[in-house]
Amino acid sequence: MDAIVTHDLTKTYQSHVGRGSVTSLDGLNLAVQQNEVFGFLGKNGAGKTTTIKLLCSLLRPTRGTASVMGFDARSRKARQRIGYLPENPYFYEYLNPRETLDFYGQLQGLDRSERAAEWLKLSECLDLATIADQRVRGFSKGMRQRLGFAVALVGDPPALILDEPMSGLDPMGRRMIRELILRLRDEGKTIFFSSHVLGDVEQICDRVGILVKGKLVVQGRIEELIAQRFHKVEVILHGLNETAAAALAADAKLARVSEAGRHFVYDDLDSANEAVRAGQAAGAKLVEFTPVRDSLEDYFMRHQEIES
Amino acid sequence: MRIWAVAHNTFREAVRDRVLYVLVFFAAASIFGSKALGWISIGQDIKIMVDISLAAISVFGVLIAIFVGTNLVHKEIDKRTIYTILCRPMARYEFVLGKCLGLAGLLAVVVFVMTAIAAVYVFLLGGRLTSSFYLAALLIYWKLLLITALAVLLSALTAPILGAIIVFAAYVVGHATNIFINLPPQFDGTVSKQVLQALYYVLPNLSHFDIASEAANGVAIAPSYVVWALAYGTVYTAMLLTLAALAFEDKDV
Repeated sequence: MDAIVTHDLTKTYQSHVGRGSVTSLDGLNLAVQQNEVFGFLGKNGAGKTTTIKLLCSLLRPTRGTASVMGFDARSRKARQRIGYLPENPYFYEYLNPRETLDFYGQLQGLDRSERAAEWLKLSECLDLATIADQRVRGFSKGMRQRLGFAVALVGDPPALILDEPMSGLDPMGRRMIRELILRLRDEGKTIFFSSHVLGDVEQICDRVGILVKGKLVVQGRIEELIAQRFHKVEVILHGLNETAAAALAADAKLARVSEAGRHFVYDDLDSANEAVRAGQAAGAKLVEFTPVRDSLEDYFMRHQEIES
Repeated sequence: MRIWAVAHNTFREAVRDRVLYVLVFFAAASIFGSKALGWISIGQDIKIMVDISLAAISVFGVLIAIFVGTNLVHKEIDKRTIYTILCRPMARYEFVLGKCLGLAGLLAVVVFVMTAIAAVYVFLLGGRLTSSFYLAALLIYWKLLLITALAVLLSALTAPILGAIIVFAAYVVGHATNIFINLPPQFDGTVSKQVLQALYYVLPNLSHFDIASEAANGVAIAPSYVVWALAYGTVYTAMLLTLAALAFEDKDV
């Protein structure tokens, strides 16, 4: 059984009278397997948050269905199994972390002893003990994010839905979140998260989906998506004379000089091979020949351009 | 349990808000200040004090009910705290009821404290209060529950400022619905008469909860009247809360 499944999920917002409607999400068909980290990518306004809100039952779909852990996303049973971290999580400013977790524990249906046990576990896991009695009002972004994760984990839900969990965090904070997500996956949880930070996504996601203007244009394993083609080939030649260098630079995408030799960047393997042969014929030595595969960012940007 | 959690949290939020204490301070100041009006009405000082004390409880209670009530749901949406609540395994009506219950608890404390202040003050000045005074305070509280339910309904439907204006208008008109039924003969046979008579039955008749003059004059109130007024308030409040829950059920947040 897949952890999260959507079928033809669509959300159209009705504008004020006479101004028509806006389709934020259009026929989303998605399947997130259990115990995987799924990255949900897209530009601002692509429909990521709308999808997440539909999965968390905060919005009603215009059309289509969504299920979480085998239950209709709108049902109480599905919500029992979801831990949700909104983008820039907001909590009651007048509560402290201990009171906050206790409140969400009650909403989750935990009794007093279970809530006390949850506090011990989560305050240790997310390093909340030192700020246990401080009101949320004065919290930094990183502290709020840690508390947000703790709230999402109250009741030990098997599926975590995270909206931009790394947004606005410093490198230390992002690293902490990355490690936490991987640890939670190792504990058997399914993690579905949206992000703008493609480098982080590439490091921790098993699979990704790319959303463009409300439509899912691709989904699959990262290595399969980005291994499909070379992005560029870099050649370094040492001992090349000026005349030959000028000839090779004319066909190259980029040319520069370093201590290692002359660098030439070509768009494809054939051009690079041709340059190596010409360089060696002119007496140069091949120092490096590096085919560079697409990064997730290159792949993402190319899809944005195609769809535009 | 979930309703209780939301109610407790709503109560806690209001108690930690300084504005509440400012309102209670002004209400208490009005009660203490009533002595000044008592001085200029010879032999009527206790009567005036009871009258003003009940008016202060009513007005400041209504201010709290309107301003906290119309913000109750809207604030949760505006501050986005609602996201992490409604994604939990709780029904939306539980959330609405919990918020109302929290505010009802707060109003109970406010009405109790102000009634106690008034009673002690009158006692210290040598006056004696009858049971009518306490029954009047009870009916004011019941009226505040109805106003709270109306404020919460509007909180789920519209912006707080518009909601507050509508609730305040309903509060003012609700004390004068009798004019809709006692129309002069010129209205006979007109559409206006039918509309105004329909409004008489639709709008809450808040004068049912107003027994301040009886309390000030020490006139005994028939228990059957109090029971009837409480029943009227309970049914009306339940109806408004049902509408609030329905309005919130399919709302996108």
